[in-house]
Amino acid sequence: MTAILTYALHYEGEFNKNSLGAVSEGARLAGELGGEAAAVVVGGDDLTDELCASLGKYGAARVYRARAPEGLAQPVVDVMAEVIRDNGYRYALFGGGLLGFEIGAGLTARLGAGVTMEVTAVKVQDGQLVAERPILQDSAVVDVGYVGEPGIVIGRLNAFDVREAANGASAEVVDVDVELQPHSTRATMVQRGEQRGADVNIEDAEILVAGGRGLGNAEGFELCEQLADALGGAVAATRAVVDAGWYPYAAQIGQTGKTVAPKLYLAAGISGAIQHKVGMQSSENIVAINKDPNAPIFEFSDLGVVGDLNKIIPKLTEAVKAKRG
Amino acid sequence: MATAPIEFPPPVDPEQEFVGAPTDPEEERIEVGVAIVGGGPAGLACAIRLSQLLADDEPLLESLGEVPIALVEKGKGPGSHLLSGAMMKPSAMRALFPDLPESDWPTFGTVDKDAVYLLPNRRMTIPLKPTPPPFRNHGNHVVSVAQLGRWLAERAEEAGVYILGETAASRLLVEHGRVVGVRSGDKGRGRGGEELSNFEPGADLIAKATVLAEGTQGHLTGAAIRHFELGTDDPQQWELGVKEVWEVEKPLDRVIHTTGWPLRFGAKYREFGGSFIYPMGADRVSMGLVVGLDYRDATFSAHDALQELKTHPLVAEIVEGGKRVGWGAKTLPSGGYWARPRVWAPGLAIAGDGAGMVNVPTLKGVHYAMHAGAFAAEAIYERLASSGNCDDLSNYEAKVRDSEIDRDSYRSRNMRQPFAKGFFVGGAIANMMEISGGRFPGGRWATHDDATVDVFVGDRDKSYPRPDGKVTFDKLSSVFLSGNATRDDAPNHIRVQEQVPLEVALMWQNMCPAAVYEVPESELEAARDEGNGTVDGKREVKVQITPSNCVQCGAITAKGGRLTPPEGGDGPNYQMT
Repeated sequence: MTAILTYALHYEGEFNKNSLGAVSEGARLAGELGGEAAAVVVGGDDLTDELCASLGKYGAARVYRARAPEGLAQPVVDVMAEVIRDNGYRYALFGGGLLGFEIGAGLTARLGAGVTMEVTAVKVQDGQLVAERPILQDSAVVDVGYVGEPGIVIGRLNAFDVREAANGASAEVVDVDVELQPHSTRATMVQRGEQRGADVNIEDAEILVAGGRGLGNAEGFELCEQLADALGGAVAATRAVVDAGWYPYAAQIGQTGKTVAPKLYLAAGISGAIQHKVGMQSSENIVAINKDPNAPIFEFSDLGVVGDLNKIIPKLTEAVKAKRG
Repeated sequence: MATAPIEFPPPVDPEQEFVGAPTDPEEERIEVGVAIVGGGPAGLACAIRLSQLLADDEPLLESLGEVPIALVEKGKGPGSHLLSGAMMKPSAMRALFPDLPESDWPTFGTVDKDAVYLLPNRRMTIPLKPTPPPFRNHGNHVVSVAQLGRWLAERAEEAGVYILGETAASRLLVEHGRVVGVRSGDKGRGRGGEELSNFEPGADLIAKATVLAEGTQGHLTGAAIRHFELGTDDPQQWELGVKEVWEVEKPLDRVIHTTGWPLRFGAKYREFGGSFIYPMGADRVSMGLVVGLDYRDATFSAHDALQELKTHPLVAEIVEGGKRVGWGAKTLPSGGYWARPRVWAPGLAIAGDGAGMVNVPTLKGVHYAMHAGAFAAEAIYERLASSGNCDDLSNYEAKVRDSEIDRDSYRSRNMRQPFAKGFFVGGAIANMMEISGGRFPGGRWATHDDATVDVFVGDRDKSYPRPDGKVTFDKLSSVFLSGNATRDDAPNHIRVQEQVPLEVALMWQNMCPAAVYEVPESELEAARDEGNGTVDGKREVKVQITPSNCVQCGAITAKGGRLTPPEGGDGPNYQMT
């Protein structure tokens, strides 16, 4: 039985981490619903059989491949609408991000479906999906069910973890030929790239060393960079230091920046205001270094160190280097 | 050692920047019938009343073109920037919706019991009985003005009003001595004012009449009052209210007002104000602290004093086991009768808080705003019907003078001013005023500009509770709950001098409930070192400004700066304040 359809975005021969999270989550939910999960990919010749089939590792049983402009919402809406109509998928699941939001919204309108946005978790109840969605500025979480099908679930960025399926195999690749709507080809891709010239994609990094006002000045970020180098991670920043011009906006975490969920989040000199917390609270391990023992960040860190980061970070960097040889 | 903030005026020339002739080529201007600025009770009541009148006058409606009534609102939508206590007197709702039963109003209904308490200190409670008349609220409705605004906006849209959300009015368009409309604000500019890839320029909105219903510290209202010399000899003064909405375990059965602690009684502090605690149905409570902005201690913070108030046994019991679900802040005008400006100029009417329409002793302005909006609509309608233009809107002024807006505020015309003499002397005089129906104290007690009151670095900040994240909170958590998610690289909409004496800088830092102003720790330490044990308040420091935290309360305009509207859609997104 066909259960859940997801969309996987790719760029330069790799799938987006956020999309892989959606594929993994789709596979898990499809299993519970007693059906199969599939993914849609849209693009050109770079979508090789091998690349498409690799989605099987994350639990996709089938991959629908369509030749159409990539990175734009409307062509994907056309493809997904047709795949859902032809094959009767009950739900479409998106990992979030701007493109996911746009496709999800477009698909909802096209199919007259029900939609839930900014979803942070999905569960199965009585053979149907129920989405959990924070409301009132994240002060409460509501369960949202669907009264009809198909149902569209749009996750918050990085809400779903990437998991390789236990029985992961190659996915079956099915080419679909979809006639695009006239309006879908009106927009063309001029250029793809990270906003404002970021050189690291902090959303995909597994280890992040984040710096805040406690670093004292822009030069303090050198400490973070050295530690991040040693750990093989990337550097992130709080709004306050981005505002002060110590670090570029592309590295900003939080309510008005990026949302991340690395395996390790090391917060250096960050007080942990809620505006920052919402951008990193799903990190697996949070380590905080701050000289103020009353800093709110210690309330949600797994390990807290009270002390002078100008002394601690260089020592930590040395120790990591020594360990890695 | 003290400094008056007015010595450091904001680097802005309102006349040059905020008033001017239309600049768009004629064919690109947007023509509407009547333009209303601000989707609050005043603006929306005006829009609704006007559409009621036009519904019965088809020829006039037709003559106003495709868009007879347009309303611009700078928040995400009507209600987003609205905040009040609030107990609303029902008169204006009744007048505007005569056929609608009160049970269908978007309110939390009436409350039978009233209580006023004097809090002498952090532990004691002294009930004041019988309830002083200004605090008797029998028959008044508890409202969330944000919700009221959303409801009124739906009624207005049903009646055919065009509501343009996320649109700031940035300039008053004046030509040949008459107001001809407003210019909407640019969107998509970067921190330094540069045009980003999503830049959209503003547009000239041309109207037969313009109604400024911008609320407290109205951006164009201030410029219009100056341009047309509408002000009186008495400057407007302001109070700052910080408010929270709580989900509570036990229903609150009465309307509570308190006075006294955590404000200080001494005349040298000039801390005038009090708190309100209102039930919003069975499971929510609205509470806040209101304080006059002529206070003097630079370390006084209304936000943190409200946190402190919640540790008083009277309030602690109410919030125990509860959860804070809403937060916001806003100023309200308290100059009263003497400071109310003339409310019209050729082509222009001013309504609501912007025109100082607040009854100070009873803390009420929502119904005044709605009455005034409706009067403005009637006056504009009369003029359009008779002469086709609105050059003379003195009929609006006459309606306001003839109404309870002026009658009530005349009675309490001298209530606020005596509090400059301290709590007890001021309180005694205000009581005499109440008893004598306003005949005592007679004469005209002058108001003063809040920014002329000098400030000093005191020690108020020593006793604020450490935020525990359950009952007491820090400012940034509060800003988060306001729904504010302003983009960080938006242009700075706050005009202040950034290099000022420490006492002014600290006053801003503490006054601002949203943590917009910050004195760097290093500067504070340096001032401590130089002050030999005390803090050197005269030392010049550079203030750090984070405009994206701003919730548009307007306090800075009262205290030596100038708030301008942010990009349309920015600022808080209030839900139930």
